[in-house]
Amino acid sequence: MTAPLLSVQSASKRFVGLLAVDSVSFDVSAGEMVSIIGPNGAGKTTLFNLLTGQLQPSGGTVRLRGQVVNRLGPHRRARLGMGRTFQIAKPLTRLTVLENVLVGAFMKHRGLRAAEGKAVEVLAEVGLLDRARHSAGELTLSERRRLEVARALALDPEIILLDEVMAGLNPSEVDAAIELYRRLNAQGLTFLVIEHNLKVVRAFAERVIVLDHGVLIAEGSAETILATPAVIEAYIGRQRA
Amino acid sequence: MPSGARVAGGFLGGMLLVLLPMLLALGDPYWLDIVTFAYLMAGLAGAWNIIGGFGGQFSLGHGVFFGIGAYLTAILYTEAGWSPWITLAPAMLLAVLVALLISWPTFRLRGPFFAIATMAFNQVAFVLVNYLDWPTNGPRGILIPFRAGLANMIFVQRWRYAVLMFGFLALVTGIAVLLRRSRLGYALLALREDEDAARAAGINVLAAKLEGMAISAALTAVGGALFAMYLRYVDPPTVFTLSEVGVRFALLSLIGGIGTVAGPILGAALVVPVENWLRSTLTGLWPGADLVVLGAAMVLAALFLKHGIVGAAADLMGRRTRR
Repeated sequence: MTAPLLSVQSASKRFVGLLAVDSVSFDVSAGEMVSIIGPNGAGKTTLFNLLTGQLQPSGGTVRLRGQVVNRLGPHRRARLGMGRTFQIAKPLTRLTVLENVLVGAFMKHRGLRAAEGKAVEVLAEVGLLDRARHSAGELTLSERRRLEVARALALDPEIILLDEVMAGLNPSEVDAAIELYRRLNAQGLTFLVIEHNLKVVRAFAERVIVLDHGVLIAEGSAETILATPAVIEAYIGRQRA
Repeated sequence: MPSGARVAGGFLGGMLLVLLPMLLALGDPYWLDIVTFAYLMAGLAGAWNIIGGFGGQFSLGHGVFFGIGAYLTAILYTEAGWSPWITLAPAMLLAVLVALLISWPTFRLRGPFFAIATMAFNQVAFVLVNYLDWPTNGPRGILIPFRAGLANMIFVQRWRYAVLMFGFLALVTGIAVLLRRSRLGYALLALREDEDAARAAGINVLAAKLEGMAISAALTAVGGALFAMYLRYVDPPTVFTLSEVGVRFALLSLIGGIGTVAGPILGAALVVPVENWLRSTLTGLWPGADLVVLGAAMVLAALFLKHGIVGAAADLMGRRTRR
């Protein structure tokens, strides 16, 4: 039996006086699309930061392809195949779009020409090739989000963690983004996604994990989860309030 | 991305252009001296720019590496009879070592805190060198006797110094051009923009900063060594006065265009002659007036030339404007 691509066991993060993530365990298999949902302050981004190495867990283990990565910094995990985007997009504003992606491409391709080739290929994939020579600071929000994905793709990741990449997008941009992620998924890329937009969750996540107050309260297929009363109460109920 | 051939062509063309003032000044010792010093300062600003501009780590402590180059060369030459060409190697090595020691703790600091911490190291070096009788000869400094010869890096004809400094500038600029297109160069640019994003792109931020700092410090030490042999005298205030040395490198880059290859050269080309002119015309009228004017000019540059000469030129040509 092969190990899951990403395996989280009793991951916890305690900030002074606050248990932001409380013993969360779940697995993600290669090729899956998994959503993490939960109300604001549920610990979703903190959990993400534990997975990507931005934060050190207070307890528990994170495994990537069976290898414990707890003590590896974010750059090491990125090179091992774990890409990520940020909730607030972080374009390298004074570099061009191409250079933004080149930065990541250099990790797997030594020469400038090879890295450039990779960067161009990735930009074409996300539909930003025509913006390649523009400075990243000029991009629209939806383009910035795609740039973040492109920067992650440049490292040939096996899994990408998306942190609320749909927020602030208009419906047609959301549709285009869903299409992009589905296409990448069809090529074998695994996704773990924090998403608020339940329509989006329904549209592309096969499996949903629900966090509330740092605790994993439910896990299952999108249809089942979104029909569970506890989830509706914890999540949607409070969203309306 | 411009091709390698185009970049090489641009570099050679630029260097020819930089060579021009020297050719024009060959018959005029006063101007030749200014050109020589401008080359040296441009090279030093270019060395600073590698970590300060590309990497965005605003070091005000580069006087330490400059001082290491100057003092180590002066000491090894006068005491042990080493050729200054040979002393460049230990000077670079020691500068790299000290740079790593200084950087390891200070790279955890960001923005102004990093600048202030590195500035403190400059002042510590000043006090230390001033205090120690051995090997730095304390406040009396070290006088390097005049023994002309290529091996001694001491020349009768002043133009040879200009060629020497030009060589240094060309070396620094060549390294900057290569670096700007390399993996390390892009890592420095990325971490300057956003350290978290750089990490997510697989960059080891601390390692990249240390590598950039090491290259920058080594080149700065070479500049210090050349300076010592050019002046044939080193003492603590000449080497460690912040406004003359440590801060100067940053300033020239800022005025020319920080983080660009041409910026430090343009900054030195503008500031060094203007400084000389102000000093010679205003000091007689009212001592210190040249510094007042220079200071005011720098404030204006900081206010209105935010991206330096390079940025202003790009604005004029409309490259920075949206389509």
